[in-house]
Amino acid sequence: MKEKWNKFTSAVRDSSWKVRLSAIIMGGGQFLYGSYVKGILYFLLEAGIVCYMVLRGFEDIKGFFTLGTQKGDAWLGTVGDNSVIMLLMGIFAWIVIAAFLYLYQLNIKDAYHAQKIAEAGKRPLSFKEELAQLLDKKFYITVLTLPVLGVCVFNILPIVFMILIAFTNYGGDIVPPELVDWVGTANFEKLITLSQFAPTFFKILGWNLLWAVVSTVLNYFLGLGLALLLDKDCVKGKAIWRAFPILAYAIPGFITLLAFKFMFSYGGPINQIITSAGHSAVGFLDLDAKWIARGIGVLVNCWISVPSIMLLATGHLSNRDMSLYEASRIDGAGRWKQFQKLTMPFMLFATTPVLLSQFIGNFNNFGIFYFLRGGLYVDGYFLASDTDLLINWLYNLSIDNNYYCIGAAISLVIFMITSLISLIIYVKSPSYREEDTFQ
Amino acid sequence: MRRKINAGKILDTAVTYVILLAVAFVFFFPCLWLILASFSKSGSIYSFDGFFPAQYSTASFVKLFTDTTMYNYPKWFMNTLLIAAGSCLLGTFLTILTAYTMSRFQFKMRKPMMKTTMVLGMFPSFMGMTVVYLLMTQFGLINHLGGLILIYASGAPMGYLTQKGFFDTIPKSIDEAAKIDGATNFQIFTKINLPLSKPIIVYTALTSFTWPWSDFILPKLLLKEKNLYTVAVGLMSLDETEFARFAAGSVFIAVPIVILYFCLVKNMVNGISEGAVKG
Repeated sequence: MKEKWNKFTSAVRDSSWKVRLSAIIMGGGQFLYGSYVKGILYFLLEAGIVCYMVLRGFEDIKGFFTLGTQKGDAWLGTVGDNSVIMLLMGIFAWIVIAAFLYLYQLNIKDAYHAQKIAEAGKRPLSFKEELAQLLDKKFYITVLTLPVLGVCVFNILPIVFMILIAFTNYGGDIVPPELVDWVGTANFEKLITLSQFAPTFFKILGWNLLWAVVSTVLNYFLGLGLALLLDKDCVKGKAIWRAFPILAYAIPGFITLLAFKFMFSYGGPINQIITSAGHSAVGFLDLDAKWIARGIGVLVNCWISVPSIMLLATGHLSNRDMSLYEASRIDGAGRWKQFQKLTMPFMLFATTPVLLSQFIGNFNNFGIFYFLRGGLYVDGYFLASDTDLLINWLYNLSIDNNYYCIGAAISLVIFMITSLISLIIYVKSPSYREEDTFQ
Repeated sequence: MRRKINAGKILDTAVTYVILLAVAFVFFFPCLWLILASFSKSGSIYSFDGFFPAQYSTASFVKLFTDTTMYNYPKWFMNTLLIAAGSCLLGTFLTILTAYTMSRFQFKMRKPMMKTTMVLGMFPSFMGMTVVYLLMTQFGLINHLGGLILIYASGAPMGYLTQKGFFDTIPKSIDEAAKIDGATNFQIFTKINLPLSKPIIVYTALTSFTWPWSDFILPKLLLKEKNLYTVAVGLMSLDETEFARFAAGSVFIAVPIVILYFCLVKNMVNGISEGAVKG
């Protein structure tokens, strides 16, 4: 850090007046050192940003803090401030300013570089040569511009926006033309204290954690077991046996889920068999079917996820060092011992990242209960049912019922939980601790 | 002594096969049920004889494609195909380029960018949906298939890790040899590495095709007109009495995907496990 600072101060003392001109008029230094096109481009950039700031930028930044002061009035015909758009434009203005600052320091560095070249008595690169560099030395800039732009607009901007929304009162009755305001951490306090949200929140959180652990463990061991079973020497025609799980793996998830919903519905085949045996029909996914519905969810999730784990495990099992097994057999280890001491550690080592992503995926498994029991609201829960996970609740609140700020607060809670768990697993996992055990 | 071992072995084999049969049944039965249901004559699930239809015919398939006043399946199918193909092309292009750059170039922003994508991946997937909706209204892309392609394709590079893992395995010495011969980085990519990376391109194309093919949240949010529905949204909107039609529609879109998977299952497995180890 200190070294950097020293380098910086010496560069400042060392720089010529032309470089210093660049600090005020961007591109000035480059122009005077002979890179005319680049100098003009930098200058146009500065002119553009000044225009933007004067025309919109300052207003947008101000709007970011106030979120609108003028309420629209249909009677008087006044057009009010749209707080949501103002927030969006405010974020955009911050991004523009950040990008400008980055380009500004690039400009000064470039001017200093030009000075060094001139002092060494060389000719600066022509504009054409600089462009050619974009296909060679700086190829990565050319390539990454588009993806980075896309990710910024459709991933980062929405996430930043939603994080900020968690600290406003946007949602419910307060949607434009009403004015939205900053409320600090009030939404999080509401979530854990207010009788409207708190009981639902903790009940769902508890079930969500239980669900994630149970289904991840079950899927993982069933998938691993299936892979080991298919790996046995006595099994003939492995490809055919393997085809059945792959079939389940290949069918799009929503079809499977809707089909299972039909299967367990009142008129579905299972109930038909039950009624024809003389019993009354069972509401498997009904309002009061709490644990039955949860169980069905776990089983259906197995049906969908076990094949992918099996495929993965099969791939890893073929990488095992078989001589270890031979040696352990000579030493008198049984099959269970081999599984415990050889297979498990190896598989855990190789699949920790997958296990982690499975856990996160299950924690945020939206589809299962959305399809099996979507749109149900159960007593004792606020806009949710007893099988809903946090992510289903988030959907119910923010997309079906306009509770944007509470929804945003819940997403932040989900984010904190998942990232905390991943961090712990990652730090504790063997693949992180002893990187070369199996290499 | 020897006979005892043999008996144990036979028992072991028998148990193994019994379990395998059970597993095969569990996985195959729902599929069989769906396929047979699509050929049911009456169409409603209530007229079934237990699990299977009482009478068979191909009426559901005919109805699926001809009776389009309420449920315009052919149109849904074309919409889905268009969206999936569009985002597949664009998404694969962006993902491969991103992964290649991340694997081959050392630049200052590389590590921060990798960390950022990891953190972004931790956020619930549709946390920003309302904002995406808002953005799309600003751009005027609601009820527009192009808008969906744009979102799918620009989200695709976030999952570049598997592909990066693949490019990491292509030895860099080839690049250096080419560089000595005077090739630019652009040429190294197009002339040397691209032809070598066919399996991973296939894998990427397949995953970025199947994702929009079976996604339902985004189209449901952004496509409000019945004629613009994708198959997933459309099938969800079917009435419960239309079970045979649902089954027929599902079978029709599942079959191409299933065939694709079976052809490419080797690539898939390699892709998954490579991404897992290098993760």
